[in-house]
Amino acid sequence: MWTKVVTGFGYWDVYSWLIFLAIASFFTLWLRNSGRQDYKEGTYQDEIYFSGNDVPEDGQDISVPADSAYWGFIKVFRPYYDVMLSVHNGLAQDYLGYFVLSIAIITALIVLL
Amino acid sequence: MNWHAHLPALLLAVPLLGAFATPVFNMGGKTLRNAWFIVISSSVFLIALALWHQVSVNGIQVYVMGAEQFALSLPSGMKLPVRIILEVDALSAFMALAGSITSLAGAWFSLSFMDRFTGLSRFVSLYLLLTVGMLGMMITGDLFNFFVFLEIASVASYGLVAFWRDRPQAIEASFKYMLLSQLAAMLVLVAIGFLYGRYNVLNMAAIGSLIHMGIVEKVALAFLISALALKCGAFPMYLWIPDAYGEAPASVSCLLVTVSQASLYGLFRVCFSIYGLAMSNKVVAWILIIFGLLSMFIAVSMAVIQHEVKRLMAYHAVSQTGYMLLGVGVGLLALGNSQALAEYGFTALKGGVFHIFNHAMYKGLLFLTAGTLYYMTGTRDLNKMGGLVRKSPWTAFMFVVAAAAIAGLPPMNGFASKLLIYQSSFAVHPLLTVVALVTSILTLASFVKVFQTAFLGPEQDRMADVKKVPATMLVGMGILTVAVLLLTFFPTWALSHLVEPAAKALVDQAGYIAAIMGGAF
Repeated sequence: MWTKVVTGFGYWDVYSWLIFLAIASFFTLWLRNSGRQDYKEGTYQDEIYFSGNDVPEDGQDISVPADSAYWGFIKVFRPYYDVMLSVHNGLAQDYLGYFVLSIAIITALIVLL
Repeated sequence: MNWHAHLPALLLAVPLLGAFATPVFNMGGKTLRNAWFIVISSSVFLIALALWHQVSVNGIQVYVMGAEQFALSLPSGMKLPVRIILEVDALSAFMALAGSITSLAGAWFSLSFMDRFTGLSRFVSLYLLLTVGMLGMMITGDLFNFFVFLEIASVASYGLVAFWRDRPQAIEASFKYMLLSQLAAMLVLVAIGFLYGRYNVLNMAAIGSLIHMGIVEKVALAFLISALALKCGAFPMYLWIPDAYGEAPASVSCLLVTVSQASLYGLFRVCFSIYGLAMSNKVVAWILIIFGLLSMFIAVSMAVIQHEVKRLMAYHAVSQTGYMLLGVGVGLLALGNSQALAEYGFTALKGGVFHIFNHAMYKGLLFLTAGTLYYMTGTRDLNKMGGLVRKSPWTAFMFVVAAAAIAGLPPMNGFASKLLIYQSSFAVHPLLTVVALVTSILTLASFVKVFQTAFLGPEQDRMADVKKVPATMLVGMGILTVAVLLLTFFPTWALSHLVEPAAKALVDQAGYIAAIMGGAF
């Protein structure tokens, strides 16, 4: 009774979700455990697959820095980000300009419409 | 009259006393100052809790400063209220409760986090003044007092953002914030002047009872919306936020989230309680909705490319404000149309209001975890972090709780409030929901990046000697984690006891006015 969110279009229940999550986790772990029976610990099967490349000795060399995360997404949206970065340029006079422009637009919309 | 009647005044008097008495307690040493800080912050929380309970049981609480009786808003046969009046309805009490929780969590966190710096007496005084300003904005029933508390909060926050004054970036961030904030404050003052000139009153309920839309009222409304939208952080006026939140000490950023929400509260109060049904057309509702959509999408897209952890979280604070603007904007769109209000408007309002509380808890927690990462490593650059889950598993756990909540992953509290907003905004136009969903996905992507780069991965050599997280910082984060988990596992209780009364108070303009004007309304 304390866990149901009624939206007016339906409802959602926290505990139902948690029960579903527990059942799904059980089956996932069961499937995983019933996987390859020929696995042998300490053999070549333990080696890391690194996209066919040699695995660096030092684990630190294979960590992905924050700047490289989502590079494809950022590359695709480069034109958008060029515009956005020019807006977020850090100049106080520009920020004031955007504010004054916003006041003008909001005032015009409210007064005229 | 029992002491419960004085709770609204105590909510402001206690932190005010705390702020001005801190230098005295500081003379007794660090332990006494810290104890004073926690005693005052805890007292503020308990008063806010008692006030919320009082409002839940007895309805709107009115407190008149200097009147013959504290609850008498129209003494001596007067037709209009003239004194300073605090008016606490369910929405005000709800906001004050959220603000007092983040203030308490930030206070605990500050004890160790700020310990290595000097000038802590000033820090504690400014922190408590910021709390006073925030709470004052939330419970005042007077427009001019709203402006005064807005200024108290602003001036305290300029000092706190620039607290690390040896960092040029902190000074610059504070300067930008001050420049924009002062212009916004002047706009608020001019708007209040317009309304005072027209109606001879400053009380919000009294103005609400008298207002009819003319050019002056429309210009005042536009100025109030613009100024408060800047203060709460709506596109394209939020640009000061990444700098200010990013440079402020983490506990201050945690509190600044709810200070910004106090401005959002002011915006909602203006739209619903002062203008309300007098705004016959839907322009303002659509302005809020468009502000919401632009803020949520543009800010989250900027967050994805950040590598400085606090700036990233600051962009997310703007993005989440967009959800609240969307929810309440949709609710405002339905105002005056009982069928639309019943079908989707009230659900949207509940979603927007619930998101305010949720956001205060998980965003405050995220800023505290960012502060913990800085405390441990001495850097805020995610590129230089890695493998920290081994060093502080509790911080990692609390970060995951907050990140899952902000991303709206079921079963977290963020999902519950977002679900209400998604479904109700879909009734207005599916595009609104699409933007909100895309924003949620990008939020998740952004926090997966933070978790992967800061906490996961192989142990870094440069992270070998990171500092241990002190217990008081864990307590600060723990308070907000418990709040997030309670809201997650008992959403129905939160909706029926916290959110619905607040949302009802927002649409009940007549009730808000009648509490002050009584028979004169």
